[in-house]
Amino acid sequence: MFTLESGSGFWNPLLWILIVFIAFLLLYGIRGFGRNTYKKDTEQTKAFLSGNKEPSPDEMHVKASNLYWGFTTSLNNVYTALRKMHTGNTSDYVLWFVIILAVLFLVFGVM
Amino acid sequence: MDILELSELSVRIILGTLGLTAFGIIFGLFYKGIDRKLSARMQGRIGPPLRQPFRDVAKLFAKENIVPDHAIPWIFNLIPLVGLIAAISILLYLPIGGFPALFSWGGDLIVILYLLLIPSLSLVIGGFSSGSPYAIIGAQREMATIIAYEFPLAIIIITIAWKFLQKGATNVFSLATITATPVWNQVTGPLGIIGFAILLLVLLLVTPAELSKIPFDASEAETEIAGGLLVEYSGRNLAMFYLMDGVKTVVLASLVVTLFFPYNLSPLLHLASYPGMALDILFYLFKVFLIILFSVTLIRVAIARLKIDQIVYTYWIPLTLASLVGLILVMWDSVVMNLFSSA
Repeated sequence: MFTLESGSGFWNPLLWILIVFIAFLLLYGIRGFGRNTYKKDTEQTKAFLSGNKEPSPDEMHVKASNLYWGFTTSLNNVYTALRKMHTGNTSDYVLWFVIILAVLFLVFGVM
Repeated sequence: MDILELSELSVRIILGTLGLTAFGIIFGLFYKGIDRKLSARMQGRIGPPLRQPFRDVAKLFAKENIVPDHAIPWIFNLIPLVGLIAAISILLYLPIGGFPALFSWGGDLIVILYLLLIPSLSLVIGGFSSGSPYAIIGAQREMATIIAYEFPLAIIIITIAWKFLQKGATNVFSLATITATPVWNQVTGPLGIIGFAILLLVLLLVTPAELSKIPFDASEAETEIAGGLLVEYSGRNLAMFYLMDGVKTVVLASLVVTLFFPYNLSPLLHLASYPGMALDILFYLFKVFLIILFSVTLIRVAIARLKIDQIVYTYWIPLTLASLVGLILVMWDSVVMNLFSSA
């Protein structure tokens, strides 16, 4: 009942929602045994910055581009090659288009 | 579906969820205790007692549940619970203790892969909602790690499914299909065995990254970013993440057992009824222990933490290439054997 099938895969969202609902009730109850108090508006609620004074949120903003640092550094050679291709010159892009189209014609022509 | 079947299903869902929640939490913490004890012994320390993780949770429940000034309180409080619930929900789709999965008809391997993402994403969202630069850096690193390890993991799953498809199985992503005829029984020659052995090794190396364990714990990195995405968490919220880590360890080890070692001892020893069931449960717990011993304990004791670019490189270049080699060997397995048999 209500099982979705894609031909190769299947899942029942209703079942999962029921499981999540029951687990939520149980774990929310267990979580309720924990202490829920803390000292508001004290040093306790400042972000931990290894003892440094906390600046305003704007000043300690971490750029989203940092996310890709691991990729751009470890795959530096690939990115360098790709950057070289992206010259910003339209005629270069048209040339790429023509070359790839010619290769595709050859591939499909031979096949 | 009549009313009797519906009520039976309801009871199964309720008791199954309650039972597997208890199982996941208790054994998650128990295996955490074993891991800490063994790693301490390997480092020449005495280590904490096995019940230490239980005490840690009890202590966290007694601690203040601090919400930082710049955090988004409702996300910050809710997301640890979401991660734990998602980790527990996976247990209901996996064969546990040598028994078939409770709801194998409710979801396949692809669903499990998606559900496995939720605990990791909950860590990321929790980190972003903390309003701390350390937590944001940790969350970004966790996202990069997720993107990195999903690639070889997807190749492993596709290879297993492809092999079952080639053998004429229907529902190739179904865990019932995979456990009924284990992958080692699907191969026809040594190439297939080597291919699946490589894929098993890659999966065992994906496991520590899924669990954010050393050497793939750049997202937490206590000595560098002071706990990263967990830096602002305390009290019962941190306890939820702590429990989530334990449950996810059991989930991942059970997934490896299901995909590669779904064997039971009872048919071999001709045991039936309760003795057979007890033996199968013990054997399953032992298999889970061995997976955790290799993927978590041995690796984190032996290797130092990698930088995030090294993590990405490890998963995208050597391990992706290794899993592709495994895929090709599995594909060539029957072709080469057919050539030999026809010659």
